[in-house]
Amino acid sequence: MSVSKRSTIIVEHLRKQQMMDAISKGKRLDGRDFNEQRPLEIELDVVKKANGSARVRLGDSEVIAGVKVETGEPFEGLENKGALIVSAEVLPTASPHVEPGPPDEETVELARVVDRGVRESEMVDLDKLVLVPGKIVYTIFVDCSVINADGNLFDATSYATVSALLSAKLPVLEMQNDKVVDTGKTQPMPVTTVPISITAVRIGDAVILDPSAEEEACMDARITITTSEAGFCALQKGYTGAFTIEQIKKAAETARIKGEEIRAKIKELTKYGQ
Amino acid sequence: MACGELVMQEIRRRYVLPGDKIAEGNYRPLMNVIRTGNAVIATRIGIAETGRDGVKVIPLSGIYIPRVNDLVIGKIVDHTSLSWEVDINSCFSAHLPAQDVFGRDFSPARDDMSKHLAIGDMITARIVAFDRTRDPMLTVQDRDLGKIPRGELLKISATRVPRLIGKRGSMIQTIEQATQTRVLIGQNGVVVVTGRNPEGIKQAVKAIRMVEEEAHTANLTQRIKVLLNVPETPQEAQANSAVTTPKPQDQPVQDTMEEVEEELEAESEK
Repeated sequence: MSVSKRSTIIVEHLRKQQMMDAISKGKRLDGRDFNEQRPLEIELDVVKKANGSARVRLGDSEVIAGVKVETGEPFEGLENKGALIVSAEVLPTASPHVEPGPPDEETVELARVVDRGVRESEMVDLDKLVLVPGKIVYTIFVDCSVINADGNLFDATSYATVSALLSAKLPVLEMQNDKVVDTGKTQPMPVTTVPISITAVRIGDAVILDPSAEEEACMDARITITTSEAGFCALQKGYTGAFTIEQIKKAAETARIKGEEIRAKIKELTKYGQ
Repeated sequence: MACGELVMQEIRRRYVLPGDKIAEGNYRPLMNVIRTGNAVIATRIGIAETGRDGVKVIPLSGIYIPRVNDLVIGKIVDHTSLSWEVDINSCFSAHLPAQDVFGRDFSPARDDMSKHLAIGDMITARIVAFDRTRDPMLTVQDRDLGKIPRGELLKISATRVPRLIGKRGSMIQTIEQATQTRVLIGQNGVVVVTGRNPEGIKQAVKAIRMVEEEAHTANLTQRIKVLLNVPETPQEAQANSAVTTPKPQDQPVQDTMEEVEEELEAESEK
């Protein structure tokens, strides 16, 4: 739970000027190119008691995601599907701009955008997670905790969620005399595709990928595009500014190309499809 | 006794951790130490110094704690109708009264504060008041104080500031002269580098970063000179050529101690 004031970070005018000067020369303050992401590190099975977990470091942003499998009633209108819920929180130790308390708009948005990417790509085959149709289904919780916030939490949390789901072991449950019984066996999560989100922000006329906290504090507009192997599956435009159509087309193309790279990396690490 | 003197020498300066006993006896606790019974105990990680006037610890890490008369570089983060709130890179947030800028006839209704100092502006200021009952209060009424119009901004740990200044300003003068820049250092660890030549600014930033990272190591001024291609003075060349034998393993600590002396001197000059 957190009351975050991340959007109220004030960047010094001198620093912003430096950033704009660098951007006008085609570079960023940390020396990256516009389309260059920070180094991505993924560690699996970091939480031993969870059914699956991952720790992701994207530059200095750090997120831990844990998967917990339980049983419950299906959602109304989706009686023949399992339930999947992604939640996120930014810990007060993640940044000086986060306070303890109920989640604020930004954190709610973070959880929703990550959830949407996983849900709309149909990453987890929810049809296979039904025990008694209309009555008892698998309920999968993915809880994400942001340990350190240095920008682009959307992508870091998304990669953590996807990696945790891919590495998760689903307990094999059976119905015996109207009761759910754990057989003690496990099976891999029924995954159909690997969704990857790519976030770009506009600062002045430049569209840059994977913004740091400082860059986010200077941004005019933000867009998060999620692709699966089948194509585009989710999109979230944030902040007050706008993009031109060309900028969106370019961002979408970049999201596709960069998405392929990250997908290959996560697949290799989690041995998905091997 | 020679042996006793030697022991005294060793006790004079050494690395300590919080909780380490520095000295026993009738010593006056000066800085970053507490007195428990007859013992003086360190409260921070750093170098303990036992002098005639008392015992203190020069911290090697930590945040900036404001002190009256310190020159700081701060960021305007907000303003009320009567004062600006200034982020001085500390756990305390400072206040700059509007009267300090507008004069005594300041009127919140008439004067537009954000025209003078907007949110995000950087200022050089001096701390005029700070104690346990009030947050630091700043002034910009002095020569060279006020808004900083341009420059490259960087932050270093506040504990590295005396090292960056060097003995009688030697380190910073070396950097300024070699890179043709002007380096403004706040005691709170905020540094602004200005200059005409962007390459010079880049070099200066590199040197400052090196000072920050290697503040605890020996021969730093010399290495900064090598980094910035500063030619050696004849005296230095002579001194360096005299040292031909390789130094033993524990020598760096000795050197660091010498440099800490420089640091102390810089501190007391301040």
